[in-house]
Amino acid sequence: MATAETSLDPSDPSGPFESGQTSAGRASEHIESFSYDDDISRKFAVATIVWGLIATIAGLVVALLLVLPKAFVGLEWLTFGRLRPLHTNAAIFAFAGNGIFAAIYYSTQRLCKARMWSDVLSRLHFWGWQLIIVAAAVTLPLGITQSREYAELEWPIDLAIAVVWLGFFGVNFFMTLIKRRERHLYVALWFYIATIVTVTVLHVFNNLVVPIAAFKSYSVYAGVQDAFMQWWYGHNAVAFFLTTPFLGLMYYFLPKAANRPVFSYKLSILHFWSLVFIYIWAGPHHLHYTALPEWASSLGMLFSVMLWMPSWGGMINGLLTLRGAWQKVAVDPVLKFFVVGVTFYGMSTFEGPMLSVKSVNALSHYTDWTIAHVHSGALGWNGMMTFGMLYWLAPRLFQTKLWSVKAATLHFWISTIGILMYIVPIYIAGLTQGLMWRAMDETGQLVYPDFVETISSIAPMWWLRVVGGALFVAGVVLMVVNYFMTWLSRPSTYEVPVYQAPRLAKQADYREPAEVSEAIKDAPMLEAAKKLDTWSRMGWHRRWERLPVRFTILVTLAVVIASLFEIIPTFLIRSNVPTIATVQPYTPLELAGRDIFVSEGCYNCHSQMIRPMVAETKRYGEYSKPGEFVYDHPFQWGSRRIGPDLAREGGKQSNLWHWLHLEDPQSVNEASVMPSYVHLLDTAIDFDKITDRVWAAHMLGAQYDEELTNAPEIARKQAELVAADIVSQGGPIKRGELMTYDTQAVALIAYLQRIGTDIFATPEADDSAETDGPAPGEVPEDVDAIPEVAAGQADPQSDATG
Amino acid sequence: MLKDVIRSVDYSDCAEIALAMFVVAFAMMVFAVLRLSRKSADRFASIPLSDQVKDPRDE
Repeated sequence: MATAETSLDPSDPSGPFESGQTSAGRASEHIESFSYDDDISRKFAVATIVWGLIATIAGLVVALLLVLPKAFVGLEWLTFGRLRPLHTNAAIFAFAGNGIFAAIYYSTQRLCKARMWSDVLSRLHFWGWQLIIVAAAVTLPLGITQSREYAELEWPIDLAIAVVWLGFFGVNFFMTLIKRRERHLYVALWFYIATIVTVTVLHVFNNLVVPIAAFKSYSVYAGVQDAFMQWWYGHNAVAFFLTTPFLGLMYYFLPKAANRPVFSYKLSILHFWSLVFIYIWAGPHHLHYTALPEWASSLGMLFSVMLWMPSWGGMINGLLTLRGAWQKVAVDPVLKFFVVGVTFYGMSTFEGPMLSVKSVNALSHYTDWTIAHVHSGALGWNGMMTFGMLYWLAPRLFQTKLWSVKAATLHFWISTIGILMYIVPIYIAGLTQGLMWRAMDETGQLVYPDFVETISSIAPMWWLRVVGGALFVAGVVLMVVNYFMTWLSRPSTYEVPVYQAPRLAKQADYREPAEVSEAIKDAPMLEAAKKLDTWSRMGWHRRWERLPVRFTILVTLAVVIASLFEIIPTFLIRSNVPTIATVQPYTPLELAGRDIFVSEGCYNCHSQMIRPMVAETKRYGEYSKPGEFVYDHPFQWGSRRIGPDLAREGGKQSNLWHWLHLEDPQSVNEASVMPSYVHLLDTAIDFDKITDRVWAAHMLGAQYDEELTNAPEIARKQAELVAADIVSQGGPIKRGELMTYDTQAVALIAYLQRIGTDIFATPEADDSAETDGPAPGEVPEDVDAIPEVAAGQADPQSDATG
Repeated sequence: MLKDVIRSVDYSDCAEIALAMFVVAFAMMVFAVLRLSRKSADRFASIPLSDQVKDPRDE
């Protein structure tokens, strides 16, 4: 650390100028004083720990809810469907988010040799981000959600995120780069640039919605397109929120902790550009065997497999940075965390490409295997890297010794064992699920036809996960104590070293090499060849590496071109893939019911996508077609099956069965792990608000007529029919003061009975199933008009797009 | 007309074109990295190790 005051005399060895500087070169330059803003890093570091504790506790709670589904009976705010997004958002945006901000604010200032451009923007960023997290913590348990994984927050919060991320954080970061005093942009800064640019692009385009209320909106995309956009975003949220910033963190803090430069700077350059080029294409591997077009799926797989190489390049670069310093790992908990973190990065980035291979994905998708994979990355890579960084920062930020190195070491061991105890049983559970779902006997029948059998068999693994998760939480608690005790021993006033240096010249005259090399200078050869030799030395590229605006444009181009390559054809699907004539817009009541499905987070447990596999069509019925989802804003394909798929749910069960299932799932299936949704039976539906939903759906392409003016009445009529059916089968006429037909449960049942039935309907005007677009909607006034279709009774002729 | 053109495009080629784009970009980066001098690489790699301004800064 420099002293608080430094001499301006270059001949003074205690001054700010180090060897290599010439006094003549500096004499005429204006010397500036500056200091680093560590207060903002302190704020983010503390926020990381606080939110880390909350995120992991929330994870432990949702893990418990799977084995004790009745734990919070009667409290709709604490169901698995609502709390799981809270856990993921807290882990990603609160814990990891604050962690990367702490890292970026600390390292950027040092790498740029400049204070952050604006202290005000830094504070606005900090408090704005914390407010966003609080808003998420309040809205998600209330059922306010877009139901898009890792992008659940509703549009006002999304707007706030855009302002805070780009307006406060982005502007401050890029202005700091422009005003820096270090000519070359170190590779960690490249990763930060990629993070800020790409997350902005992803966030904006994934969250284009039509708002109908303060906290309710519909995605502008539908079905296949919506699924594509969601996983373009979802996968790249992992790539550019949970990977690239952490790689930047690794490239800065690992050399710092090991006190040696990165193993290969050249490898780090290759690592960076390869990741930025490849990652953005990989999203469609989340949609293998779905209704997504084959080419997009193959493209996603191809680039996902290729990702393995740069990822391991990064891992090798990180681990080999410790060459000759492995003895330090034995005694330094910071390096322990980093070594295990980088190793988990390698494991996760090996497994990720493997899971993207279609044949492997066919087994792993929808199972707990994905959950284990995600947690090996989140806990192992993000968690351990963050912990290592925080322990390294603690004595520097609080200017005192870490309270207990032993406690930090204990935290490392508890966390490591906790992660292993978490992921190993879940890997076993995932494999078990996948194999049980596809198991068929010699007669071609499912060995485990009852879905709940596959869940019951893995319940012991879920208990082991709770134990592993509890250990991880215990480690975080230990860290909270360690940080708090360290903070208590801080000095009364923090020392703020002041550095002095001139600004960079506005224009770099650097080119490497700028001239023709000596070897060929006088050689008898064409001038063009000499120029080519100079060009091929790529001094121009070295120059680009130190021009932040141009560099940012290059990164933006890389991600935008790749994205457009996939997005443009995907958005043409509606005109390229024939839609299905019998697929009609939802009725007003079904729309309301669908919104309840979305709000309750049912997609967290139930998929709505039957893959074209024998075992799946045996279990659920005809596989899903892209044309079935043209009115689904947002799509509800899900990504996991804790309960059975619902793509052909309509007509499978009676209305009363659904009513009882919502009231007490265990009353209709003793082994069910579904929580009670009895609150839907006790909450009235607001029929008057249905008009807004209908208009929004109409704006997005659903062809309505009378519904536009008379939606509440139409919805009431259908609700009465559903309720009458429930009553006729022995259900209640009313619960307390609330009539059955007035309940939210009836709307949800109307939606559930509609799902997946349209392709079996008989076309009325045209016996051809293929058209250029959806036919004018004719909404059935009587639910009895909806054909009851049993699983496996699909008419192959109705497959309009197959 | 534009609609017809777009409809006639074979999107199954997207994967191959994308791969070619990546290979070209990757080859350029490999070339750029190979031409980076050892002195520059060592200097860039050591940037994080000091929090103080070092001169000369234009290398």
